[in-house]
Amino acid sequence: MQPRRFLRSASFRLVVWYAAVFGTSVALLLAIVYWIVVSALNQQLRDAVERELTVLTEVYRNRGVDRAAAGIQLRVAELSPPRMYYLLQDAAGRRIAGNFPPMTPREGWAVMAIPAAGAGEGPVKPSAGSSLLAQGVRLPNGEFLLVGENRYRVVKAEEAIIGALGGGIAITVLLAFAGGALLAVGFLRRIEEINRTSRSIMAGNLFNRVPTRGSGDEMDQLAINLNAMLDRIQVLMESLKRVSDDIAHDLRTPLSRLRQRLEVARDRARTPEDYAAVVDRSLAEVDAILETFAALLRIAQIEAGSRRASFSDVSLEGVVHTVSEIYAPVAEDNGQRLEASVECAALVDGDRDLLMQMTANLLENSIRHCPPGALIAVRLAAEGGAPVLRVADNGPGIPAAERERVFRRFYRLDASRSTPGSGLGLALVKAVADLHGATVELSDNHPGLRVVVRFRAFGGPLRPAQPVRHEIAPEPLRDTP
Amino acid sequence: MKILLIEDDADTSSFVANGLREHGHVVDQSADGRDGLFLASSEGYDVMVIDRMLPRVDGLAIVKTVRGAGVRVPVLLLTTLGGVNDRVEGLEAGADDYLIKPFAFAELLARVNALARRPPIAEGESVLRVGDLELNRLKRTVTRSGKRIEVQPQEFRLLEYLMHHAGQVVTRTMLLENVWEFHFDPRTSVVETHISRLRAKIDRGFDRPLLHTVRGSGYCLSATA
Repeated sequence: MQPRRFLRSASFRLVVWYAAVFGTSVALLLAIVYWIVVSALNQQLRDAVERELTVLTEVYRNRGVDRAAAGIQLRVAELSPPRMYYLLQDAAGRRIAGNFPPMTPREGWAVMAIPAAGAGEGPVKPSAGSSLLAQGVRLPNGEFLLVGENRYRVVKAEEAIIGALGGGIAITVLLAFAGGALLAVGFLRRIEEINRTSRSIMAGNLFNRVPTRGSGDEMDQLAINLNAMLDRIQVLMESLKRVSDDIAHDLRTPLSRLRQRLEVARDRARTPEDYAAVVDRSLAEVDAILETFAALLRIAQIEAGSRRASFSDVSLEGVVHTVSEIYAPVAEDNGQRLEASVECAALVDGDRDLLMQMTANLLENSIRHCPPGALIAVRLAAEGGAPVLRVADNGPGIPAAERERVFRRFYRLDASRSTPGSGLGLALVKAVADLHGATVELSDNHPGLRVVVRFRAFGGPLRPAQPVRHEIAPEPLRDTP
Repeated sequence: MKILLIEDDADTSSFVANGLREHGHVVDQSADGRDGLFLASSEGYDVMVIDRMLPRVDGLAIVKTVRGAGVRVPVLLLTTLGGVNDRVEGLEAGADDYLIKPFAFAELLARVNALARRPPIAEGESVLRVGDLELNRLKRTVTRSGKRIEVQPQEFRLLEYLMHHAGQVVTRTMLLENVWEFHFDPRTSVVETHISRLRAKIDRGFDRPLLHTVRGSGYCLSATA
């Protein structure tokens, strides 16, 4: 990854924010520590100075100025190097005792510079730049007493904390940057993977997918969702492609036939009757083409699944009953017999129009491919809590090897090539079943074909309704009485 | 009859308009949704034929607007091939019937006639009569010249629909959609089979046939034809 890209990235901005927030926190924390430590040390200092001052003042009051001066001398002698500083001077400003040079008397607290070495009695060797906290007090006879203590410890503590502050902030920021960058590089790499996949797909490699790691984190979820979306798009694209392929392959034949017919008519037709006949046949051909076209589009739309949005409770029993009733006379006119038995009252979540068409297609499939005398049996039963629709006939059946293929668009058995039909009926059955989450199986009915459509169990009532067996008995065509 | 045709495709528009005029109707044409909406809400038409897809204002929106304004003129919506949800959307918007393009002119004519002459109160009538044929909706019986005719449930529905539209041409598709709720074209002779059975029951043995086949269009139940 190029550094410039990194600097522009969202992760980098995040890292900077993190560093800023962490740095500020550390600074704030140390500032509080500084304040507490320094004020505590200062308080200690004040206490010590005040204690000394009180003791010396007591001595002065009770025992006189000489005893006080002696006490100071004793203390100064003891301290080497001096931590405490003392000054006792008379009203005229002359030093009586102490290791601090005479000064203009000033009562109260003050921070003062430490006098240079040798300024007082005893070895005074203050560290350079050190200061001292002192308190002065005027004594009753005009003397002035000052006690001070080196602020060395406070200053050291201040320095230590300020040093820690600087180092702490530096380390925090550095760590934040390093950690953030590490994190960002990880994220950026995965985003880069997604980008790479997208570019590759845009370039035409439609089968590419974003790699997943199985970690289940957000990035993995994103990758999984993107892949699912790509899969869905691919299914839709393939369906679209199949439709266009189908149209290209299977509409070309009838269109060429139509063209030839029109060409022949132009060259050979003589009478208006000739033309009328050609026009009629051409219209029929065009209608058939349009119908095929509509069926193809319908299948494609069903496969796309948009109809699922308008699903509602459909009485499968009503659908099977109605469709059987409608087709019984058609079968009868064909010399066949249609028997319907509805053994359960099942509700399915579905599209009534499509379920009607699916059932009609199954019945028409049997009616059209069975010879006269055949028996077509439609049965709706509950199995394992789910409705199952069976359409069985004792006609020619479908060879086992061909059973999966008949669901393809335009696939027709050799035996039925001569009969009219688009070869889309079972493809639509399959599409409708898929849309409803149902399975379709074709099997041998010994002899004949058996189609079994297994629906999913639906929450609605699957009452084992009184086994109604409305046999749609072939009604003899008779004159009205 | 005064008919408003809102259709943006010039060929379709003139095909429909000329056909309707040949059959004695007065046709106003509009090729644009907004002008069409203006006409639809202002003039008194008997039937409106509106394309689903129009420039500027969509056909569905016109139907909704016009219905919202209280115009009750019957509307036939023209939809494109394969619009799966068009039918439901169209009927929900307030259209009375729909027709998928491309269509035969006879189909459109039959539907326009059916819409225009829709008897407003027939829904509630319990007895329908055409000539000496009588259908009782409450008792679910059919008689001709007082003689009882036994019909199957599907035949009853078919006859009921035909009697509702007595004197009008009803097409195969109208029967499929309205009698059997088939919104697809069956590949077997469903309509022909049921019609011939019904005809056998109501016409056979009587001097005057009532159920007529109109060549190239459909069927017509009429006592006078």
